[in-house]
Amino acid sequence: MWVDLIITLVKISFILAITVGFFAPVLTWVERKQSALMQDRIGANRADIMGFTVLGLFHIIADALKMFTKEDFIPDGANKILHTVSPIIALVPALLTFAVIPFGGQYTLFDKEVNLVISDLDVGLLFVFAIASLATYGYVIAGWSSNNNWSLLGSMRTASQMISYEVTMGLTIIGVLMVYGSMKLTEIGAIQENFWMWGIFLQPVGFFMFLTASIAENKRIPFDAPEAESELVAGYFTEYSGLKFGMFFMAEFIEMVTIGAIMTILFLGAWHIPFLTTATLLSWFDFLGTTGSNLVVMLIHVGVFFAKVIFFIWLQMIIRWTLPRFRYDQIMRLGWKILLPLSLANILVTGLLILALN
Amino acid sequence: MAYYVNRRSEMTWWEKSYIPEIIKGMWLTSRRFFYNLFGFIPFFLGTEKDRRIMTVYYPEEQVQYPVAYRGRPVLAQNEDGHPACVACGLCEIACPAYCIHIEPGQNTGKQNQYERWPDVFNIDYAICIFCGNCEEACPEEAIFMSDDCEISMLDRKQMLYTKEQLLTPVADLQKRIEFTRNMYAKWNY
Ligand code: SF4
Ligand code: SF4
Repeated sequence: MWVDLIITLVKISFILAITVGFFAPVLTWVERKQSALMQDRIGANRADIMGFTVLGLFHIIADALKMFTKEDFIPDGANKILHTVSPIIALVPALLTFAVIPFGGQYTLFDKEVNLVISDLDVGLLFVFAIASLATYGYVIAGWSSNNNWSLLGSMRTASQMISYEVTMGLTIIGVLMVYGSMKLTEIGAIQENFWMWGIFLQPVGFFMFLTASIAENKRIPFDAPEAESELVAGYFTEYSGLKFGMFFMAEFIEMVTIGAIMTILFLGAWHIPFLTTATLLSWFDFLGTTGSNLVVMLIHVGVFFAKVIFFIWLQMIIRWTLPRFRYDQIMRLGWKILLPLSLANILVTGLLILALN
Repeated sequence: MAYYVNRRSEMTWWEKSYIPEIIKGMWLTSRRFFYNLFGFIPFFLGTEKDRRIMTVYYPEEQVQYPVAYRGRPVLAQNEDGHPACVACGLCEIACPAYCIHIEPGQNTGKQNQYERWPDVFNIDYAICIFCGNCEEACPEEAIFMSDDCEISMLDRKQMLYTKEQLLTPVADLQKRIEFTRNMYAKWNY
Protein backbone atom coordinates (compact mmCIF):
# COMPACT_ATOMS: atom_id res chain seq x y z
CA MET A 1 0.00 0.00 0.00
CA TRP A 2 2.59 2.53 1.13
CA VAL A 3 5.03 1.23 -1.42
CA ASP A 4 2.49 1.73 -4.22
CA LEU A 5 1.84 5.26 -3.06
CA ILE A 6 5.52 6.07 -3.01
CA ILE A 7 6.04 4.57 -6.45
CA THR A 8 3.18 6.62 -7.85
CA LEU A 9 4.50 9.78 -6.22
CA VAL A 10 7.93 9.14 -7.69
CA LYS A 11 6.41 8.70 -11.14
CA ILE A 12 4.33 11.87 -10.81
CA SER A 13 7.28 13.91 -9.69
CA PHE A 14 9.40 12.47 -12.49
CA ILE A 15 6.81 13.48 -15.09
CA LEU A 16 6.39 16.94 -13.56
CA ALA A 17 10.12 17.42 -13.37
CA ILE A 18 10.70 16.39 -16.95
CA THR A 19 7.85 18.42 -18.46
CA VAL A 20 7.63 21.58 -16.37
CA GLY A 21 11.17 21.48 -15.10
CA PHE A 22 13.06 20.35 -18.16
CA PHE A 23 11.15 20.40 -21.45
CA ALA A 24 9.12 23.61 -21.08
CA PRO A 25 12.03 25.90 -20.22
CA VAL A 26 14.65 24.20 -22.37
CA LEU A 27 12.37 24.18 -25.40
CA THR A 28 12.14 27.98 -25.33
CA TRP A 29 15.89 27.97 -25.74
CA VAL A 30 15.90 25.18 -28.31
CA GLU A 31 13.28 26.98 -30.36
CA ARG A 32 15.46 30.06 -30.68
CA LYS A 33 18.70 28.28 -31.16
CA GLN A 34 17.36 25.83 -33.71
CA SER A 35 15.70 28.51 -35.79
CA ALA A 36 18.91 30.50 -35.64
CA LEU A 37 20.96 27.60 -36.94
CA MET A 38 18.47 26.94 -39.69
CA GLN A 39 18.67 30.54 -40.85
CA ASP A 40 22.46 30.88 -40.60
CA ARG A 41 22.16 33.00 -37.48
CA ILE A 42 23.70 32.43 -34.08
CA GLY A 43 20.75 32.86 -31.75
CA ALA A 44 20.43 33.86 -28.13
CA ASN A 45 23.86 34.00 -26.51
CA ARG A 46 24.08 37.26 -24.58
CA ALA A 47 22.79 36.43 -21.11
CA ASP A 48 25.76 35.55 -18.96
CA ILE A 49 26.54 34.84 -15.34
CA MET A 50 30.07 35.86 -14.38
CA GLY A 51 31.13 35.79 -18.01
CA PHE A 52 29.79 32.31 -18.74
CA THR A 53 27.12 32.16 -21.42
CA VAL A 54 26.81 28.35 -21.88
CA LEU A 55 25.48 28.81 -25.43
CA GLY A 56 22.81 31.17 -24.16
CA LEU A 57 21.18 28.71 -21.76
CA PHE A 58 20.93 31.44 -19.13
CA HIS A 59 18.32 33.12 -21.28
CA ILE A 60 15.91 30.65 -19.71
CA ILE A 61 16.54 32.17 -16.30
CA ALA A 62 16.42 35.68 -17.70
CA ASP A 63 13.08 34.93 -19.36
CA ALA A 64 11.63 33.43 -16.21
CA LEU A 65 12.74 36.42 -14.13
CA LYS A 66 11.29 38.79 -16.70
CA MET A 67 8.01 36.91 -16.69
CA PHE A 68 7.81 37.00 -12.88
CA THR A 69 8.50 40.71 -12.59
CA LYS A 70 6.18 41.94 -15.35
CA GLU A 71 2.99 43.75 -14.42
CA ASP A 72 -0.01 41.44 -14.29
CA PHE A 73 -2.42 43.42 -16.40
CA ILE A 74 -6.19 43.00 -16.66
CA PRO A 75 -7.80 45.31 -19.21
CA ASP A 76 -10.79 47.54 -18.41
CA GLY A 77 -14.07 45.82 -19.11
CA ALA A 78 -12.54 42.37 -19.03
CA ASN A 79 -14.21 39.65 -17.03
CA LYS A 80 -11.71 39.45 -14.18
CA ILE A 81 -12.49 35.92 -13.02
CA LEU A 82 -12.53 34.31 -16.46
CA HIS A 83 -9.50 36.31 -17.53
CA THR A 84 -7.57 34.90 -14.59
CA VAL A 85 -8.87 31.36 -14.83
CA SER A 86 -8.41 30.74 -18.55
CA PRO A 87 -4.61 30.30 -18.58
CA ILE A 88 -5.05 27.65 -15.91
CA ILE A 89 -7.71 25.89 -18.00
CA ALA A 90 -5.26 25.94 -20.90
CA LEU A 91 -2.28 24.65 -18.95
CA VAL A 92 -3.77 21.95 -16.74
CA PRO A 93 -5.00 19.61 -19.53
CA ALA A 94 -1.58 19.71 -21.14
CA LEU A 95 -0.11 18.36 -17.91
CA LEU A 96 -2.99 16.02 -17.12
CA THR A 97 -2.63 13.96 -20.28
CA PHE A 98 0.70 12.70 -18.98
CA ALA A 99 -1.22 10.78 -16.31
CA VAL A 100 -1.98 8.00 -18.81
CA ILE A 101 1.06 8.21 -21.06
CA PRO A 102 3.44 5.32 -20.43
CA PHE A 103 7.11 6.22 -20.64
CA GLY A 104 8.39 2.67 -20.24
CA GLY A 105 7.23 -0.91 -19.96
CA GLN A 106 6.79 -3.20 -16.96
CA TYR A 107 9.77 -4.13 -14.83
CA THR A 108 10.36 -6.28 -11.76
CA LEU A 109 12.17 -4.24 -9.17
CA PHE A 110 12.73 -5.80 -5.72
CA ASP A 111 10.03 -8.43 -6.38
CA LYS A 112 7.57 -5.70 -7.25
CA GLU A 113 5.94 -5.14 -10.63
CA VAL A 114 6.57 -1.53 -11.62
CA ASN A 115 4.52 -0.18 -14.50
CA LEU A 116 5.95 3.02 -15.86
CA VAL A 117 2.68 4.87 -16.23
CA ILE A 118 0.97 6.93 -13.55
CA SER A 119 -2.47 5.53 -14.18
CA ASP A 120 -2.94 2.57 -16.52
CA LEU A 121 -6.47 3.36 -17.71
CA ASP A 122 -8.31 0.94 -19.98
CA VAL A 123 -9.54 3.88 -22.04
CA GLY A 124 -6.21 5.70 -21.99
CA LEU A 125 -6.40 6.97 -25.53
CA LEU A 126 -9.92 8.32 -25.07
CA PHE A 127 -8.86 9.96 -21.83
CA VAL A 128 -6.04 11.77 -23.63
CA PHE A 129 -8.40 13.17 -26.23
CA ALA A 130 -11.12 14.03 -23.71
CA ILE A 131 -8.68 15.98 -21.57
CA ALA A 132 -6.77 17.56 -24.45
CA SER A 133 -9.92 19.02 -25.97
CA LEU A 134 -10.71 20.69 -22.64
CA ALA A 135 -7.83 23.06 -23.32
CA THR A 136 -9.91 24.59 -26.12
CA TYR A 137 -12.11 26.16 -23.46
CA GLY A 138 -9.10 27.87 -21.99
CA TYR A 139 -8.21 29.49 -25.30
CA VAL A 140 -11.77 30.42 -26.20
CA ILE A 141 -12.52 31.91 -22.79
CA ALA A 142 -9.20 33.78 -22.84
CA GLY A 143 -10.11 35.62 -26.02
CA TRP A 144 -13.71 36.16 -25.05
CA SER A 145 -13.04 37.56 -21.59
CA SER A 146 -10.34 40.04 -22.64
CA ASN A 147 -12.71 42.60 -24.14
CA ASN A 148 -10.55 42.97 -27.22
CA ASN A 149 -11.51 42.50 -30.85
CA TRP A 150 -8.27 40.80 -31.81
CA SER A 151 -8.55 38.38 -28.94
CA LEU A 152 -12.13 37.54 -29.83
CA LEU A 153 -11.23 36.91 -33.45
CA GLY A 154 -8.34 34.76 -32.31
CA SER A 155 -10.46 32.66 -30.01
CA MET A 156 -13.13 32.22 -32.67
CA ARG A 157 -10.50 30.94 -35.03
CA THR A 158 -9.17 28.69 -32.29
CA ALA A 159 -12.60 27.21 -31.71
CA SER A 160 -13.25 26.45 -35.37
CA GLN A 161 -9.78 25.13 -36.00
CA MET A 162 -9.75 22.90 -32.95
CA ILE A 163 -13.17 21.43 -33.79
CA SER A 164 -12.20 20.80 -37.42
CA TYR A 165 -8.98 19.03 -36.63
CA GLU A 166 -10.27 17.12 -33.63
CA VAL A 167 -12.59 15.31 -36.02
CA THR A 168 -9.67 14.21 -38.17
CA MET A 169 -7.63 13.29 -35.14
CA GLY A 170 -10.42 11.16 -33.71
CA LEU A 171 -11.03 9.38 -37.00
CA THR A 172 -7.32 8.77 -37.49
CA ILE A 173 -6.90 7.01 -34.19
CA ILE A 174 -9.81 4.73 -35.07
CA GLY A 175 -7.49 3.20 -37.65
CA VAL A 176 -4.85 2.71 -34.98
CA LEU A 177 -7.41 1.15 -32.64
CA MET A 178 -8.55 -1.25 -35.33
CA VAL A 179 -5.00 -2.40 -35.92
CA TYR A 180 -3.99 -2.85 -32.29
CA GLY A 181 -7.38 -3.77 -30.90
CA SER A 182 -6.81 -1.87 -27.68
CA MET A 183 -7.31 1.57 -26.16
CA LYS A 184 -4.78 0.91 -23.42
CA LEU A 185 -1.69 2.92 -24.21
CA THR A 186 0.55 0.47 -22.36
CA GLU A 187 -0.83 -2.39 -24.43
CA ILE A 188 -0.38 -0.49 -27.69
CA GLY A 189 3.18 0.18 -26.63
CA ALA A 190 3.81 -3.46 -25.70
CA ILE A 191 2.54 -4.77 -29.05
CA GLN A 192 5.13 -2.66 -30.86
CA GLU A 193 7.99 -4.71 -29.46
CA ASN A 194 7.93 -6.32 -32.90
CA PHE A 195 9.54 -3.83 -35.27
CA TRP A 196 7.12 -4.57 -38.13
CA MET A 197 4.17 -3.83 -35.87
CA TRP A 198 5.16 -0.20 -35.46
CA GLY A 199 2.29 2.13 -36.21
CA ILE A 200 4.19 3.97 -38.90
CA PHE A 201 4.24 0.78 -41.01
CA LEU A 202 0.69 -0.28 -40.26
CA GLN A 203 -0.83 3.19 -40.59
CA PRO A 204 1.45 5.31 -42.80
CA VAL A 205 -1.33 7.61 -43.97
CA GLY A 206 -2.67 7.82 -40.46
CA PHE A 207 0.76 8.89 -39.26
CA PHE A 208 0.90 11.89 -41.58
CA MET A 209 -2.67 12.87 -40.86
CA PHE A 210 -2.18 12.58 -37.13
CA LEU A 211 0.98 14.69 -37.31
CA THR A 212 -0.81 17.38 -39.32
CA ALA A 213 -3.87 17.37 -37.10
CA SER A 214 -1.87 17.49 -33.90
CA ILE A 215 0.23 20.42 -35.10
CA ALA A 216 -3.03 22.15 -35.97
CA GLU A 217 -4.35 21.33 -32.50
CA ASN A 218 -1.29 22.91 -30.96
CA LYS A 219 -1.79 26.02 -33.12
CA ARG A 220 1.81 26.21 -34.25
CA ILE A 221 2.90 27.45 -37.64
CA PRO A 222 1.72 26.58 -40.33
CA PHE A 223 -1.59 26.42 -38.46
CA ASP A 224 -1.14 29.44 -36.21
CA ALA A 225 -4.04 31.47 -37.60
CA PRO A 226 -5.51 31.85 -34.06
CA GLU A 227 -2.48 33.77 -32.85
CA ALA A 228 -1.19 35.11 -36.18
CA GLU A 229 1.05 37.98 -35.14
CA SER A 230 0.83 39.77 -38.45
CA GLU A 231 -2.97 39.65 -38.54
CA LEU A 232 -4.28 39.54 -34.98
CA VAL A 233 -1.48 41.07 -32.87
CA ALA A 234 -1.21 37.89 -30.79
CA GLY A 235 -4.66 36.38 -31.09
CA TYR A 236 -6.34 35.13 -27.96
CA PHE A 237 -3.53 36.09 -25.58
CA THR A 238 -3.12 39.67 -26.79
CA GLU A 239 -4.23 41.04 -23.41
CA TYR A 240 -2.12 38.73 -21.28
CA SER A 241 1.10 39.65 -19.62
CA GLY A 242 3.49 38.36 -17.02
CA LEU A 243 2.96 34.93 -15.57
CA LYS A 244 -0.42 34.39 -17.19
CA PHE A 245 1.14 34.87 -20.60
CA GLY A 246 3.88 32.55 -19.45
CA MET A 247 1.29 29.88 -18.71
CA PHE A 248 -0.06 30.02 -22.26
CA PHE A 249 3.48 29.85 -23.49
CA MET A 250 4.29 26.90 -21.29
CA ALA A 251 1.05 25.15 -22.30
CA GLU A 252 2.14 25.34 -25.92
CA PHE A 253 5.54 23.83 -25.23
CA ILE A 254 4.18 21.10 -22.96
CA GLU A 255 1.61 20.27 -25.61
CA MET A 256 4.49 19.79 -28.02
CA VAL A 257 5.90 17.21 -25.64
CA THR A 258 2.47 15.59 -25.29
CA ILE A 259 2.09 15.33 -29.04
CA GLY A 260 5.57 13.90 -29.30
CA ALA A 261 4.78 11.32 -26.62
CA ILE A 262 1.47 10.24 -28.15
CA MET A 263 3.00 10.02 -31.61
CA THR A 264 5.81 7.92 -30.19
CA ILE A 265 3.43 5.52 -28.50
CA LEU A 266 1.00 5.19 -31.38
CA PHE A 267 3.35 5.22 -34.35
CA LEU A 268 7.01 4.94 -33.46
CA GLY A 269 7.27 1.88 -31.29
CA ALA A 270 6.91 3.55 -27.89
CA TRP A 271 9.92 2.66 -25.73
CA HIS A 272 11.25 -0.20 -27.89
CA ILE A 273 14.49 -0.32 -29.82
CA PRO A 274 14.05 -1.84 -33.32
CA PHE A 275 14.79 -5.59 -33.44
CA LEU A 276 15.63 -5.70 -29.73
CA THR A 277 13.01 -7.32 -27.56
CA THR A 278 12.89 -6.68 -23.85
CA ALA A 279 13.80 -10.32 -23.19
CA THR A 280 17.03 -10.02 -25.22
CA LEU A 281 17.95 -6.82 -23.45
CA LEU A 282 17.28 -8.45 -20.07
CA SER A 283 19.45 -11.44 -20.96
CA TRP A 284 22.35 -9.14 -21.83
CA PHE A 285 22.35 -7.70 -18.33
CA ASP A 286 21.61 -11.00 -16.59
CA PHE A 287 24.82 -10.84 -14.55
CA LEU A 288 23.37 -7.92 -12.57
CA GLY A 289 20.61 -10.05 -11.02
CA THR A 290 16.88 -9.59 -11.57
CA THR A 291 16.60 -6.14 -10.04
CA GLY A 292 19.81 -4.88 -11.53
CA SER A 293 19.09 -5.99 -15.06
CA ASN A 294 15.52 -4.72 -14.86
CA LEU A 295 16.76 -1.37 -13.61
CA VAL A 296 19.24 -1.03 -16.47
CA VAL A 297 16.67 -2.03 -19.07
CA MET A 298 14.17 0.40 -17.53
CA LEU A 299 16.65 3.25 -17.81
CA ILE A 300 17.44 2.31 -21.42
CA HIS A 301 13.75 2.21 -22.30
CA VAL A 302 12.96 5.53 -20.67
CA GLY A 303 15.94 7.01 -22.48
CA VAL A 304 14.81 5.60 -25.82
CA PHE A 305 11.28 6.85 -25.26
CA PHE A 306 12.38 10.39 -24.56
CA ALA A 307 14.87 10.30 -27.42
CA LYS A 308 11.94 9.56 -29.74
CA VAL A 309 9.89 12.32 -28.12
CA ILE A 310 12.76 14.72 -28.67
CA PHE A 311 12.92 13.63 -32.29
CA PHE A 312 9.26 14.56 -32.73
CA ILE A 313 9.78 17.89 -31.04
CA TRP A 314 12.67 18.55 -33.38
CA LEU A 315 10.44 17.62 -36.31
CA GLN A 316 7.70 19.99 -35.16
CA MET A 317 10.21 22.79 -34.84
CA ILE A 318 11.65 22.13 -38.29
CA ILE A 319 8.13 22.28 -39.70
CA ARG A 320 7.42 25.46 -37.78
CA TRP A 321 10.46 27.23 -39.19
CA THR A 322 10.08 25.86 -42.72
CA LEU A 323 6.51 26.53 -43.73
CA PRO A 324 4.62 29.81 -44.00
CA ARG A 325 1.24 30.23 -42.32
CA PHE A 326 -1.81 28.86 -44.08
CA ARG A 327 -4.60 31.27 -44.81
CA TYR A 328 -7.70 30.74 -42.68
CA ASP A 329 -9.81 29.35 -45.52
CA GLN A 330 -6.96 27.07 -46.55
CA ILE A 331 -6.85 25.65 -43.04
CA MET A 332 -10.55 24.92 -43.16
CA ARG A 333 -10.31 23.41 -46.63
CA LEU A 334 -7.42 21.19 -45.63
CA GLY A 335 -9.30 20.07 -42.54
CA TRP A 336 -12.74 19.37 -43.97
CA LYS A 337 -12.14 18.65 -47.65
CA ILE A 338 -8.87 16.76 -47.60
CA LEU A 339 -8.07 15.31 -44.21
CA LEU A 340 -11.61 14.29 -43.26
CA PRO A 341 -12.31 12.24 -46.43
CA LEU A 342 -8.79 10.84 -46.28
CA SER A 343 -9.23 9.69 -42.71
CA LEU A 344 -12.56 8.07 -43.56
CA ALA A 345 -10.94 6.31 -46.51
CA ASN A 346 -8.12 5.25 -44.21
CA ILE A 347 -10.60 3.57 -41.87
CA LEU A 348 -12.26 1.82 -44.80
CA VAL A 349 -9.02 0.54 -46.29
CA THR A 350 -7.72 -0.55 -42.89
CA GLY A 351 -10.92 -2.45 -42.23
CA LEU A 352 -10.86 -4.14 -45.62
CA LEU A 353 -7.22 -5.14 -45.20
CA ILE A 354 -7.84 -6.55 -41.73
CA LEU A 355 -10.79 -8.55 -43.08
CA ALA A 356 -8.77 -9.77 -46.05
CA LEU A 357 -5.74 -10.80 -44.02
CA ASN A 358 -7.68 -12.67 -41.35
CA MET B 1 17.63 38.39 -74.97
CA ALA B 2 14.56 39.16 -73.04
CA TYR B 3 13.96 37.01 -70.05
CA TYR B 4 10.44 35.89 -69.30
CA VAL B 5 9.41 34.84 -65.84
CA ASN B 6 7.46 31.65 -65.92
CA ARG B 7 4.27 32.70 -64.15
CA ARG B 8 2.79 29.28 -64.07
CA SER B 9 -0.12 29.55 -61.67
CA GLU B 10 -1.47 26.06 -62.20
CA MET B 11 0.25 23.55 -59.96
CA THR B 12 0.95 20.02 -61.01
CA TRP B 13 -0.75 17.31 -59.01
CA TRP B 14 2.61 16.45 -57.49
CA GLU B 15 2.88 19.97 -56.08
CA LYS B 16 -0.75 19.99 -55.07
CA SER B 17 -0.36 16.89 -52.96
CA TYR B 18 1.58 19.04 -50.44
CA ILE B 19 3.57 16.35 -48.73
CA PRO B 20 6.46 15.86 -51.22
CA GLU B 21 6.99 19.60 -51.54
CA ILE B 22 6.84 20.07 -47.76
CA ILE B 23 9.38 17.29 -47.30
CA LYS B 24 11.60 18.99 -49.89
CA GLY B 25 11.47 22.22 -47.93
CA MET B 26 12.13 20.45 -44.67
CA TRP B 27 15.04 18.61 -46.22
CA LEU B 28 16.58 21.95 -47.17
CA THR B 29 16.12 23.54 -43.75
CA SER B 30 17.24 20.51 -41.80
CA ARG B 31 20.33 20.15 -43.99
CA ARG B 32 21.15 23.75 -43.20
CA PHE B 33 20.51 23.05 -39.52
CA PHE B 34 22.93 20.13 -39.28
CA TYR B 35 25.48 21.85 -41.45
CA ASN B 36 25.57 24.85 -39.14
CA LEU B 37 25.28 22.73 -36.00
CA PHE B 38 28.44 20.79 -36.78
CA GLY B 39 30.15 23.70 -38.48
CA PHE B 40 30.09 25.82 -35.34
CA ILE B 41 31.46 23.15 -33.03
CA PRO B 42 35.16 23.86 -33.78
CA PHE B 43 34.58 27.49 -32.91
CA PHE B 44 33.29 26.60 -29.44
CA LEU B 45 36.24 24.28 -28.92
CA GLY B 46 38.46 27.27 -29.53
CA THR B 47 39.83 26.24 -32.88
CA GLU B 48 39.30 27.73 -36.30
CA LYS B 49 35.72 27.22 -37.40
CA ASP B 50 34.63 25.94 -40.77
CA ARG B 51 35.10 28.95 -43.03
CA ARG B 52 32.31 27.83 -45.34
CA ILE B 53 29.94 29.07 -42.66
CA MET B 54 29.73 32.76 -43.33
CA THR B 55 28.05 33.84 -40.11
CA VAL B 56 30.45 35.84 -37.95
CA TYR B 57 30.28 35.45 -34.19
CA TYR B 58 30.40 39.19 -34.02
CA PRO B 59 31.79 40.68 -30.83
CA GLU B 60 34.04 37.68 -30.23
CA GLU B 61 35.07 37.33 -33.83
CA GLN B 62 35.74 40.28 -36.12
CA VAL B 63 36.31 40.62 -39.80
CA GLN B 64 39.08 42.71 -41.32
CA TYR B 65 37.47 45.48 -43.33
CA PRO B 66 38.85 46.21 -46.80
CA VAL B 67 40.96 49.34 -47.10
CA ALA B 68 38.26 51.11 -49.11
CA TYR B 69 35.93 50.89 -46.10
CA ARG B 70 34.91 54.29 -44.71
CA GLY B 71 34.74 54.19 -40.93
CA ARG B 72 34.98 57.22 -38.68
CA PRO B 73 37.27 60.02 -39.92
CA VAL B 74 40.41 60.53 -37.84
CA LEU B 75 43.23 63.09 -37.81
CA ALA B 76 46.71 62.04 -38.81
CA GLN B 77 49.42 62.66 -36.21
CA ASN B 78 53.01 63.13 -37.34
CA GLU B 79 55.88 61.19 -35.77
CA ASP B 80 56.72 64.14 -33.50
CA GLY B 81 53.22 64.15 -32.07
CA HIS B 82 52.01 67.22 -33.91
CA PRO B 83 48.84 67.08 -36.03
CA ALA B 84 49.44 67.12 -39.77
CA CYS B 85 46.44 69.40 -40.14
CA VAL B 86 47.12 73.09 -40.95
CA ALA B 87 43.61 74.27 -40.02
CA CYS B 88 42.86 75.45 -43.54
CA GLY B 89 39.18 74.69 -43.06
CA LEU B 90 38.66 72.99 -46.41
CA CYS B 91 37.24 69.89 -44.82
CA GLU B 92 34.89 72.05 -42.77
CA ILE B 93 33.59 73.55 -46.01
CA ALA B 94 33.48 70.24 -47.86
CA CYS B 95 31.55 68.51 -45.11
CA PRO B 96 27.94 68.15 -46.25
CA ALA B 97 26.73 67.51 -42.74
CA TYR B 98 28.52 70.46 -41.09
CA CYS B 99 29.87 68.30 -38.35
CA ILE B 100 33.47 69.57 -38.27
CA HIS B 101 34.39 72.51 -36.06
CA ILE B 102 37.90 74.01 -36.32
CA GLU B 103 39.54 76.83 -34.38
CA PRO B 104 43.01 77.51 -35.78
CA GLY B 105 46.14 78.35 -33.81
CA GLN B 106 49.32 79.77 -35.35
CA ASN B 107 52.99 80.36 -34.83
CA THR B 108 53.98 83.84 -33.58
CA GLY B 109 57.30 84.19 -35.39
CA LYS B 110 59.37 81.24 -34.15
CA GLN B 111 61.70 79.78 -36.76
CA ASN B 112 61.68 76.14 -37.97
CA GLN B 113 58.43 75.30 -36.32
CA TYR B 114 54.96 74.41 -37.45
CA GLU B 115 53.17 77.47 -38.74
CA ARG B 116 49.54 76.55 -38.25
CA TRP B 117 47.65 73.92 -36.40
CA PRO B 118 44.14 73.47 -35.11
CA ASP B 119 43.64 74.51 -31.51
CA VAL B 120 40.23 72.93 -31.53
CA PHE B 121 39.20 70.23 -33.96
CA ASN B 122 35.85 68.59 -33.23
CA ILE B 123 33.95 66.06 -35.27
CA ASP B 124 30.46 65.19 -34.14
CA TYR B 125 29.99 61.55 -35.11
CA ALA B 126 26.33 61.82 -34.29
CA ILE B 127 25.99 64.03 -37.36
CA CYS B 128 28.76 62.71 -39.60
CA ILE B 129 27.52 60.65 -42.54
CA PHE B 130 30.85 58.94 -43.28
CA CYS B 131 30.92 60.33 -46.81
CA GLY B 132 34.65 60.82 -46.96
CA ASN B 133 34.46 64.34 -48.47
CA CYS B 134 36.72 65.69 -45.74
CA GLU B 135 39.41 63.21 -46.68
CA GLU B 136 39.11 64.14 -50.33
CA ALA B 137 39.20 67.88 -49.66
CA CYS B 138 42.22 67.86 -47.41
CA PRO B 139 45.37 69.21 -49.13
CA GLU B 140 47.70 68.09 -46.35
CA GLU B 141 46.87 64.39 -46.01
CA ALA B 142 45.71 65.14 -42.52
CA ILE B 143 42.28 63.56 -42.22
CA PHE B 144 41.50 59.95 -43.11
CA MET B 145 38.67 57.50 -42.87
CA SER B 146 39.62 54.74 -40.45
CA ASP B 147 38.15 51.24 -40.33
CA ASP B 148 36.56 51.80 -36.93
CA CYS B 149 32.78 51.80 -37.03
CA GLU B 150 32.02 50.89 -33.40
CA ILE B 151 31.12 54.32 -32.11
CA SER B 152 27.83 53.77 -30.34
CA MET B 153 27.42 55.72 -27.10
CA LEU B 154 24.80 55.95 -24.39
CA ASP B 155 24.87 59.76 -24.62
CA ARG B 156 24.85 61.97 -27.67
CA LYS B 157 27.32 64.40 -26.11
CA GLN B 158 29.96 61.69 -26.01
CA MET B 159 29.76 61.40 -29.78
CA LEU B 160 31.51 64.74 -30.11
CA TYR B 161 35.18 63.77 -30.51
CA THR B 162 37.83 66.37 -29.74
CA LYS B 163 41.28 66.76 -31.29
CA GLU B 164 42.97 64.55 -28.68
CA GLN B 165 40.53 61.71 -29.35
CA LEU B 166 40.83 62.09 -33.12
CA LEU B 167 44.60 62.06 -33.42
CA THR B 168 45.94 58.76 -34.75
CA PRO B 169 49.62 58.09 -35.53
CA VAL B 170 50.39 58.19 -39.25
CA ALA B 171 51.94 54.75 -39.01
CA ASP B 172 48.51 53.24 -38.29
CA LEU B 173 46.98 54.92 -41.32
CA GLN B 174 49.63 53.96 -43.84
CA LYS B 175 47.41 51.60 -45.83
CA ARG B 176 44.64 54.12 -46.19
CA ILE B 177 47.11 56.85 -47.17
CA GLU B 178 48.45 54.66 -49.96
CA PHE B 179 44.93 53.89 -51.03
CA THR B 180 43.83 57.54 -51.20
CA ARG B 181 46.96 58.52 -53.11
CA ASN B 182 46.17 55.89 -55.72
CA MET B 183 42.54 56.76 -55.88
CA TYR B 184 42.83 60.53 -56.14
CA ALA B 185 45.82 60.32 -58.50
CA LYS B 186 43.51 58.76 -61.05
CA TRP B 187 41.26 61.76 -60.96
CA ASN B 188 44.16 64.05 -61.81
CA TYR B 189 43.91 66.70 -59.12
S1 SF4 C 1 32.99 62.00 -43.50
FE1 SF4 C 1 31.68 63.48 -44.52
S2 SF4 C 1 30.20 64.05 -42.95
FE2 SF4 C 1 31.86 63.03 -41.90
S3 SF4 C 1 33.21 64.64 -41.24
FE3 SF4 C 1 33.95 63.96 -43.22
S4 SF4 C 1 32.98 65.31 -44.69
FE4 SF4 C 1 31.85 65.50 -42.79
S1 SF4 D 1 42.13 68.33 -41.91
FE1 SF4 D 1 42.98 68.91 -43.86
S2 SF4 D 1 41.33 70.04 -44.84
FE2 SF4 D 1 40.79 69.91 -42.71
S3 SF4 D 1 41.58 71.77 -41.82
FE3 SF4 D 1 43.15 70.25 -41.55
S4 SF4 D 1 44.46 70.47 -43.31
FE4 SF4 D 1 42.59 71.57 -43.80
